[in-house]
Amino acid sequence: MRRFHYVMGALLALSWTAPLVAQQPTGTIRGRITDNATQQSIAGVTVTVAGRIALTQPDGRYVISAVPLGAATVTARIVGYAPALQPVNVTGDTMVVDVALTAQAINLAEIVVTGYGEQRAGNITGAVTQVNADKFNPGRVISPEMLIQSKVPGVQVVDNNEPGGGIAIRVRGPTSVDIGKGAKSDPLYVVDGVPVGIADGQVGLSAGRNPLNFLNPNDIESITVLRDASASAIYGVNAANGVVLIQTKRGGRQAPQFEYTGSTSASRVTRLPSMLNADQFRTAVMTYGTASQISQLGSANTNWFNLIDQTAFGQDNNFAVSGSGENTDWRLSAGYLKQDGIIRGTTTQRLSLGINLDHRLFDDRLDVRASVRGSRADDEFTPGGVLSNAAQMGPTQPAFDSTSLTGYYDWPGNTLQSPDNPLALLNLATDKGRTYRSIGNLRATYRIPFVQGLKANLNLGYDVAEATRQSFYPSVLHGQTKTGQDGSDYRSDFSQSNQTLEMFLNYLAPLRSIPGNIDLTAGYSFSQSHAEYPSYLALGLTTDILGPNGITTARTVQNFQSIQENRIISFFGRANYNYQDRYLVSASVRRDGSSRFGPVAEWGTFPAISAGWRLSQESFMQGFKSLSDLKLRLAYGKTGNQSFANYVQYPQYELGDAQTQAQFGNQFITTVRPGAYNPYIHWEETKAFDAGLDWASSDQRITGTIDYYSKSTDGLIFTVPVCAGCGLTNFNTQNIGKMRNRGIELGLSARLLQGREGGGGLTWNADFTASDNKNTMLQIYASPGVTRVLTGGIAGGVGTNIEVLQPGVPVNSFYVFEQRYDSAGKPIQGGYVDQPTVRDTVACPAAPGCVGLYRPDGVINQDDLRPFHDPSPKWIFGHTSLFTYNKLELNFTLRAYIGNWVYNNVASNLGTYSEVTRASPYNLHSSVLQTGFTSPQYQSDYYVEDASFLRMDNVTVAYTFNYRRQPIRVFGTVQNAFTITGYSGVDPTAGINGIDNNMYPRSRTFTGGLSVRF
Amino acid sequence: MNRIRTTLTGAAALLALALAACTDLTLEPKSTPTDATAFKDPGAYQALIARVYTGLAVSGQQGAAGKPDISGIDEGFSQYLRLYWEAEELPTDEAVIGWGDVGLPELNTQTWAVTNSFVGAMYYRVFFQVMMANEFLRQTTDDKLDARGNVNTALRAQIKQYRAEARFLRALSYWHGIDLFGDIPLITEADVVGNVPQPSTRAAIYDFIVSELNAIKPDLPPPGTATYGRATAPAADMLLAHLYLNASVYTGTTHYAEALAAAQAVIAGPYSLNPVYKNNFLADNNTSPEIIFAIPQDGLHTQTWGGVTFLVHASCGGDMNNTTYGIDGCWWGLRLKPEAYNRYAAGDLRTSTFFTTNQSIAVTSIGDFHAGIAEPKYQNVTSTGAPGSHPTHVDTDFPLFRLADAYLIYAEAQLRGGGGTRAQALNYMNALRVRAYGDSSGVIPDSALTLQFILDERGRELLWEAHRRTDLVRYGLYTGNAYVWAWKGGVQAGTGTDAKYNLYPIPANELIANPNLRQNPGY
Repeated sequence: MRRFHYVMGALLALSWTAPLVAQQPTGTIRGRITDNATQQSIAGVTVTVAGRIALTQPDGRYVISAVPLGAATVTARIVGYAPALQPVNVTGDTMVVDVALTAQAINLAEIVVTGYGEQRAGNITGAVTQVNADKFNPGRVISPEMLIQSKVPGVQVVDNNEPGGGIAIRVRGPTSVDIGKGAKSDPLYVVDGVPVGIADGQVGLSAGRNPLNFLNPNDIESITVLRDASASAIYGVNAANGVVLIQTKRGGRQAPQFEYTGSTSASRVTRLPSMLNADQFRTAVMTYGTASQISQLGSANTNWFNLIDQTAFGQDNNFAVSGSGENTDWRLSAGYLKQDGIIRGTTTQRLSLGINLDHRLFDDRLDVRASVRGSRADDEFTPGGVLSNAAQMGPTQPAFDSTSLTGYYDWPGNTLQSPDNPLALLNLATDKGRTYRSIGNLRATYRIPFVQGLKANLNLGYDVAEATRQSFYPSVLHGQTKTGQDGSDYRSDFSQSNQTLEMFLNYLAPLRSIPGNIDLTAGYSFSQSHAEYPSYLALGLTTDILGPNGITTARTVQNFQSIQENRIISFFGRANYNYQDRYLVSASVRRDGSSRFGPVAEWGTFPAISAGWRLSQESFMQGFKSLSDLKLRLAYGKTGNQSFANYVQYPQYELGDAQTQAQFGNQFITTVRPGAYNPYIHWEETKAFDAGLDWASSDQRITGTIDYYSKSTDGLIFTVPVCAGCGLTNFNTQNIGKMRNRGIELGLSARLLQGREGGGGLTWNADFTASDNKNTMLQIYASPGVTRVLTGGIAGGVGTNIEVLQPGVPVNSFYVFEQRYDSAGKPIQGGYVDQPTVRDTVACPAAPGCVGLYRPDGVINQDDLRPFHDPSPKWIFGHTSLFTYNKLELNFTLRAYIGNWVYNNVASNLGTYSEVTRASPYNLHSSVLQTGFTSPQYQSDYYVEDASFLRMDNVTVAYTFNYRRQPIRVFGTVQNAFTITGYSGVDPTAGINGIDNNMYPRSRTFTGGLSVRF
Repeated sequence: MNRIRTTLTGAAALLALALAACTDLTLEPKSTPTDATAFKDPGAYQALIARVYTGLAVSGQQGAAGKPDISGIDEGFSQYLRLYWEAEELPTDEAVIGWGDVGLPELNTQTWAVTNSFVGAMYYRVFFQVMMANEFLRQTTDDKLDARGNVNTALRAQIKQYRAEARFLRALSYWHGIDLFGDIPLITEADVVGNVPQPSTRAAIYDFIVSELNAIKPDLPPPGTATYGRATAPAADMLLAHLYLNASVYTGTTHYAEALAAAQAVIAGPYSLNPVYKNNFLADNNTSPEIIFAIPQDGLHTQTWGGVTFLVHASCGGDMNNTTYGIDGCWWGLRLKPEAYNRYAAGDLRTSTFFTTNQSIAVTSIGDFHAGIAEPKYQNVTSTGAPGSHPTHVDTDFPLFRLADAYLIYAEAQLRGGGGTRAQALNYMNALRVRAYGDSSGVIPDSALTLQFILDERGRELLWEAHRRTDLVRYGLYTGNAYVWAWKGGVQAGTGTDAKYNLYPIPANELIANPNLRQNPGY
């Protein structure tokens, strides 16, 4: 609190030095600074004359008073433009000096959104990348994150093939381990200045698909990624995983304009799991099955995947109208999207509305910006088990059976060891969700009249969501009767509301005592979240007659309610110093308090400092005419991560339900369980260093940026084993462990062909990004601690884990046996390398397999597992080319991953002949034809494959023409045009954990559409 | 205009100051109680002691799975009784399980590693029980009860019983702990949660359990149908009888006289043999007059994927019809090793549940359910043939202690020099034999009553009741090559094993988490 007074006092003191000037005859100069080419006003231009200095306002105007009479030179300077000098003879009158500036290098003068403000690209000292709408990925895009895939170095967008499905973004690798109640690795998302979803560590609430889907991608103006700690530290305890700033489109200063963009798309599946066909399956059952299995074989030839996949159609319509009055800019937008999935049963539909309103009051001193957007998403999900049963169901069996209760064929008997008919599941079960979400804010910026350059900002934001999910599995389904569930009905009605209040002062002024400009920001932020998670589960339904529409009497009913609340209070400040666009320094500090931390660690402080040196401005660089810009950046900062579970600090007494009661005599007693807690829990802390170089060629054709970074995260929050008696149970959520990410990022943009002078001709713009990241788990604390924590659960066996957290290797490295092969190159079943695990006092050179003092123990058991590669790509490459020829445009994006490994779980789970000896035979993965395995080898490294790939993510052809003088653009896009990979499974981008297990298959999508403006 | 500006500026500044003052970060849980709020409801004492009991019966706070008690292993696998049963039966001559889940196959063959996840989970289950019991004792001290001010006299009397029961349950798990793992830490309610425990010894914990049990006996609730499922004085005597019988293993000193006396005390109680042996293992076995302490299971109220649900389902497979056993499906897991099957003579009705169709006696392959005789001893149908209340989660309770076991302990303690009379021992033995054969055809003469006979009879009478490993260790036959059985040591014919396997290893992770501990010899 006291700190806040100091900051305000300092700001005011600084600005009130202005009136102290000598009393002698002077004149006043005023004018407007514009861009030579566009005639647009330029704000923030430093105008100096005779030692007097001013910055231009948003309308480009400036006023300098008290200028000594006589000859003088007006200098106007801003990054990205050539400085302009204009001689004047100052008289006692007010003189008007307008200056037009000429752009010097591309993009340097572009305004980039940063936390609590914006900056010229050329003056930024952190690793910040902004992608504007014209560079977004085209085609069928449902989730906003997809817009920037392959566009930003250091950013991995891990998509889900299901339309609108969950998407993860990793900025410079994972900084957390994402286990249990531990912290998440997702970045902070800020939409129009409102941080979304800091409620429970998630991006927000949805009925099951990506929570950011409420944002219509067509309404997005730009997406900015703050990659390094110096840029993101202004967001303090939420910033360790990077920050993604999303700005929506606003009205323009012009007559009302209408825009319509519409498209339709068709998708086909590209790759499915490779299962045995009917003949191969029959042979396998005849060879390995017993009489019981052979007798069940049918004579059909059914391709189960063909029965559940489809050509998926989609449409997307967006309408926007924008305009402005004298003091008001506005934009209204509406969108409707409907997209089916390539697996039947999957649909997503979205209705979205958005209003942005900017209003200027009191001679433009007060800007009020209101933004409200809302959406309704209706999601239908393919019922659980359809994909896995399509893989497992015997291809010799028919789909239909007129004699069965459901009309669908099921294996005889009613046993747990028979797969279900996926078509019956698809057609009889339902699973759907609906999400309402609205996010809005009111921002007021007041330019305080008596202090030039001082602005007060108020930002009030809200984010509310209501999500219902409902699934119904009728009791007649084979999957229900065989498990004894006998019909299930699940409903949830989750809701969440977040409020944010932010106030900050911003002071931007030239300094009078020393050269240069200073930009100060100081503020306060308060945000809190309340979420409720009620749900209802009924099992053993007495009737299916009502379907999902009614509540029927059930054998077991379980109701749940959970309330989650969270609050963050912050004080922050930042100073940017700019000396003639040559030396740039930025320092920020944020102090955060979070309700998630225990009483001993409620508050944390997160400082950052960065510096830039624009070498190209130095005289010694003037010889290098080919470079228009060369900037060296150095940055260091500390950020935090608090996106872990609420209430870890409280000793909670968990109530039992009606199915976990204790029998006392003839009574059943509901129980209560004291749970593990940790009063010492505090945020994860990431310290990051970044060194970068930005350059631009003077012909403005090539710009580039290269960054090296190293960040280490300490106090990792995850749920780890603790010693017996050290807690109430064997796991607790703790700050335990340390990891490091290091890497290099490269971004290049080039205008390779510039077309004809004055327009037309062939142009070619190319962008290229490359990112290398090396993650290493450094430490899991020794006391209390463990050497390794198993992660990565797979299908097959129960509780089988395939990945590990272990010091010295990347997080979630695969943890497997080293497979031995026979002379023909065939894997030997159960033949694993006996790793040297026993330590002797003397080296054992004679024994085979010895390493130093370690020798094999002669037994193959869990001690012989070892870390082996990991799912994260070592290198990510992205390339976009845009060709235009007069009105024709061709655009494509390529993406490549090198060194990402995937565990083929479909192969490991179903690639063994033992699967046909189940009560009813399971179909087999075709890998069994190579391996001949007769029992499952889940932990063999045979199934861990190099999944490096090259994919053409999209290719677009567009043609723009005028109809009655209004531009019309028609376009066609192919997404996922091709993938080149050596990986044998469904998709080499198998989620964030690299486990390919009955995942939603990838599709190739053809989209055609048009946009008109009038 | 100026006035408006000034007002606005002033208002903004005031607002800023007012809100900046708001720095309260406290947000307590609302939808779950905490230790500070839970006992505002006087029912919490019963709920908490009930939770110590359900630590044996379920795996978490949500049935049948969800909100698990311990982590690091599949929740169904982590259930106390399931783990204990597997630890006591799979490495012996009685049972084999066909599944390939990581760490499970090694239990069949005495070849486990220090990282074995089932062994580790059992260790943490023991201490989960200990910590729950300790928490109950900490929360129910006189000081705390006085301070809360909402505990009346009747409730205080109840709580006194509950405290004795908590100590019984803690003693029970400590017995399992020292029996399976040897030297482990001794943690009581006096220890501060969060402190890294100091090691103790098997013998010291043995002494602790014995003194605890003797101390609490008077405070435990009386036996009877009203206290079914709860610990009574005869249950404490039964536990003492087991401790004394195995005292030479735990401490190096024998206590056969005490074992015999404790067994006698149980036999003097209100229990009698159930005339029909198999009814002790059916869905209505809560009505059996023979069961002294059971882990109750209930299809509707006490659900788990472990416990007897596991035993009923896993024993079913092959050509067996699941509906015969009152369940929805078979899990194709457990069979008899040939030695257990061959121990029975013709006419022994205890084999009446064996399923032999398309099942071989020899276990030629551990993974093949058809290899080995199936034994659906535990069934989810009642003694009248009606199915249990739920087709997945069974009503069948697990008889942890029953009267027949007391008879066998008496006989063994007598033969080992614990006093009593040999005639009485023979009487008890033949009582079991008469029930087993339905007539006197199985009665043995005095000359046949040997320690080996008693071990075999324990194998027959207490088959798959989670006693076998302890019995074989006491007889010195569990490891080594004095007695080998199918798959002992990892080969079908069986081979001698290292004596280190008499104890399970302290889990590898635990040794790092608690540097005060030492690994058991040989690992």
